[in-house]
Amino acid sequence: MITRRIQYELAGRVFGPALLSFEAWQKRLKRRGKKRGPSPFGPPLESVKKLKEVMSLHYLEGRYADGAVPVAWVTSGFPVELLRPLGFHTVYPENHGALCGVQRIVPELSDAAEKEGWSRDLCSYARTDLGSVLLGKTPAGRLPKPDLLACCTNICQTVLYWYRCLADHFRVPLVLLDTPYVYGEARPHHLEYVRDQLGELIEVVEKLTGKRVDMDEIVGIVRKAREGTRLWGECLATARARPAPWTGIDGFFHLAPIVTLRGSEECNAYYRLLLDELGDRVKRGIGGIVDERRRLLWDNLPMWYGVRELSTLLAERGFNFVCTTYTNAWAEAGSRIDPADPMGSAVLAYTHIILNQDLPNRLDIMRRLSKDYSVDGAVLHSDRSCKPYSIGQIDLKERLARELGIRVLILEADHNDQRAWSPEQGNTRLGAFMESFS
Amino acid sequence: MRRAYIEEQKREHGRKAIAVLPVHYPKEILTAMDVLAVEMWGPPGPPRGAEAGRLQTYVCAVARNALAFMASGKADVVDAVLFPHTCDSIQGLATLLPDFGGWNKPALRYLHPKGEARPSSRAFVEKELVSLATDLESVTGRPLDTERLRWAIALHREIDGLKAQLLAGRPRLPMDDGALYALLRRGEYLWPEEHLVELRAARDQLRADPVQTGVPVAITGYVPEPMSIFATLNGAGAFVAADDYAAIGRRVVPQDGPVEGDPFAVLRDRTFAAPPCPTRASDPRIRARHLESLFGRTGVKGVIVHEPKFCEPELFDVPAVKRSAAARGLPLLLLEGELELELSAQTVTRIEAFVEMVSTGRAA
Amino acid sequence: MSDAVAIGVDCGSTTTKAVAIDSGGRILYSVVERSHPRIEEQTERCLALLRERTGAAASVPIGATGYGRKRIAASRVLTEITCHARGAFFHTGKACTLVDMGGQDTKVIRVGPGGDVQDFAMNDKCAAGTGRFLEVILARLEVPLDEIAQRAAGEARPVSISSTCTVFAESEVISLVAQGEPVAGILAGLHRSLASRVASLAGSMAADADVRMSGGVAKNATMVEALGRALGRPIGVLPDPQLVGALGAALWVR
Repeated sequence: MITRRIQYELAGRVFGPALLSFEAWQKRLKRRGKKRGPSPFGPPLESVKKLKEVMSLHYLEGRYADGAVPVAWVTSGFPVELLRPLGFHTVYPENHGALCGVQRIVPELSDAAEKEGWSRDLCSYARTDLGSVLLGKTPAGRLPKPDLLACCTNICQTVLYWYRCLADHFRVPLVLLDTPYVYGEARPHHLEYVRDQLGELIEVVEKLTGKRVDMDEIVGIVRKAREGTRLWGECLATARARPAPWTGIDGFFHLAPIVTLRGSEECNAYYRLLLDELGDRVKRGIGGIVDERRRLLWDNLPMWYGVRELSTLLAERGFNFVCTTYTNAWAEAGSRIDPADPMGSAVLAYTHIILNQDLPNRLDIMRRLSKDYSVDGAVLHSDRSCKPYSIGQIDLKERLARELGIRVLILEADHNDQRAWSPEQGNTRLGAFMESFS
Repeated sequence: MRRAYIEEQKREHGRKAIAVLPVHYPKEILTAMDVLAVEMWGPPGPPRGAEAGRLQTYVCAVARNALAFMASGKADVVDAVLFPHTCDSIQGLATLLPDFGGWNKPALRYLHPKGEARPSSRAFVEKELVSLATDLESVTGRPLDTERLRWAIALHREIDGLKAQLLAGRPRLPMDDGALYALLRRGEYLWPEEHLVELRAARDQLRADPVQTGVPVAITGYVPEPMSIFATLNGAGAFVAADDYAAIGRRVVPQDGPVEGDPFAVLRDRTFAAPPCPTRASDPRIRARHLESLFGRTGVKGVIVHEPKFCEPELFDVPAVKRSAAARGLPLLLLEGELELELSAQTVTRIEAFVEMVSTGRAA
Repeated sequence: MSDAVAIGVDCGSTTTKAVAIDSGGRILYSVVERSHPRIEEQTERCLALLRERTGAAASVPIGATGYGRKRIAASRVLTEITCHARGAFFHTGKACTLVDMGGQDTKVIRVGPGGDVQDFAMNDKCAAGTGRFLEVILARLEVPLDEIAQRAAGEARPVSISSTCTVFAESEVISLVAQGEPVAGILAGLHRSLASRVASLAGSMAADADVRMSGGVAKNATMVEALGRALGRPIGVLPDPQLVGALGAALWVR
């Protein structure tokens, strides 16, 4: 136990940074001598280096976490502030899924899950994760086994079905925060239910770790989480400038710390650095793309396996995604967090997530983003394996076009499984969409 | 046909009618308030009308068909619609239809808790039941009478008891599967007292000894559509001896004894006494034990899993169901459908081949 | 006196097959025709031909299988799965896993040591794992079936084809052609993609099994090889692969 703990600490503090700088040096060597055409993108963000370091360290620590500290696998919408004071190392299967998506290894992982009986029609994050667990395969080297699964249904019911399968596989406890969907206004007894569950799950994690949750510590972490989401929101808001200092696609990648390290100092430090850089780019008029002519909104999760190609295709013609409902979700929720009433405000914040609210609310957010970011058009990613985010898009498209006079395209794909994306057909649609602006 | 019945119920008995989406809801409260519940499992067939295109084709047929049906005005005979909190798709439909057009009458929601019973979820479901009753009061314009609710609970207990007897005594029932399921499914729209009469008559037909001679199989899934699945099964020489359909067996909660105390507390307890169901996010281990015991008790020779394509709660459980069947050495057939009106030729072949396979196994 | 003791008819979605066998299960005569919509007329004609060539009496029992099985006046009607298993067992005499690739269907059947069906799987209603998939794309590439082996032979660099939907794969192939990819590489990639689809259908049924192949697609050597690679073991093609179902049907009534 003690040696394991030392390994875990050393991984984070000593070996990790050394290994990362070595890897970076190797990549630089490889890149040398390769010729490149003129890029449609602005100069790369300097902060990316730090981002890679922060995230790689997190995964590297994870390799040594089990046995050293308690490990929780957590959904992106779970109030992780409750777990941090108890020293949990947290793994975000959704973020890990995205990592697999970017590396385009989902078909292999999904095949393993499908072989076990999970249909290809199910969420591709779930298939990625279950396949990764079955094969023991991950681009992160190794994922620590969970001692606890923590699931909140504010992003979908799917995570619960998925985590039940994980609980069955790992034979570990699953704590559930069941957040009733908000139609119009949340009813008082719905919020009471969420509050009662928070109390129950504190008991479960205290029992599991043998430690008491210190309310003062929670308040401190809640304060940091609020600060983190505020900083993240400000980073996003820099894209209101013309040209936007970064692309919406950049945002998908820079989202990782607020999802996985929310409530920690390293998360906030990172966003301060990023905000400085973005602010500086705005002052100097440096854009995320070289020639910004049209500004777009993106709805739904990204297509992790194809975001680079997609953004290049658009950037080459002067189109930039300046805002996305997805990255905005993490800025939106934080505004409700109040350190003076950590529990009460957590109930409100975690219940009022975009995906846990009705379609009029979703339309409001899209309208607001469209205006605040002065967009000319929107692309709604119709995500084959994410039903909650995709239901309603056909009506949303029509309403956005009618009310705001912008052009809207529905793009059929999938967030993580490249086999459900036809680049030929998709690119033709995008091409025609872009041509319609001229 | 169903429309004529609903109109007659409203006219002759002054009842209100409410369309209800799958799966779990406290029907007792509706009955107590003189509300006819008309369940909408689809309806089957390809989604019709211009509104069908408002949901992507990768959303299950249950949600897509309901949208097409309701938005085209075909459900206008009812006075309101109730959306239970079954899955992301029905939850999305519950905002799409009332908020973006297609449904102008009251839309009620019943947000039952997920997972196993906890103090928080027990307290919540009780308040949610009361909240639904309040919403229904505003639809009917009448207050809920507590005595009447006790009566409705007792009535539905008897109905559940009869359904349980028919399902458990299946081999002794001289009726083919098509007739039995048509009877059970008439409860999806009949006034409960009328359904009770039919169920009692069927119970009286139960014999002392088995009369079914086919190969006993188990079936689990969402809803038996198309119903011709039973003619195919029976024609091939099998019969359903164990049922775990969400629409049928998983909603039968056998409870005895008089209805005492606060009726809302009684309904709360009923919620957690129901057989495990993935749409309530039951623990898969508990479900596995339940299924294994069902398979063992009924002596089935094979298991058929019959799911609508894209149904997340059901499909996530398939590996666990497979393991339960394997644990008892039972072959398993997985069928996916989209609420078609008829089985495809390939599906018929699968079912017949499966029955041929389990029959040979039995002879050996 | 004729040697014919049984007749089997396999009325498939693409082709109709009929065989007459002797008491040892040997095929005396066979007919293969493209399936017509008028199933009754077509089978009557095939049966008449079989009887004429083998001298089989009208009393010789008939086993029927295939999609049109119920429209044939037969002594016994059974599904293709049960018939293929029996037909395959006749050839192998032992347990095996049979992959039957036909026009509309691909089936994987685990045949037990007594010729019984222990488990089976069929492709879903999408055509992505079937002979039809190959047919559509070969037509697009303008490659005749009998030239595949020659055209794809020795291709070491199969192009990756990721789409699992026939329509998507077709447009993927078009764009590969447009990008100037050699047809040989596309052909190899196509077979590899189809083979991996069938391998995933087979799942655990193919593990540690003697794998045999039947159906029209079994005559495509490139496919057999690709499937062998996907399953990690050599695959034996049954004699007269297209007739295995009809043979099995005849054996059931022998």
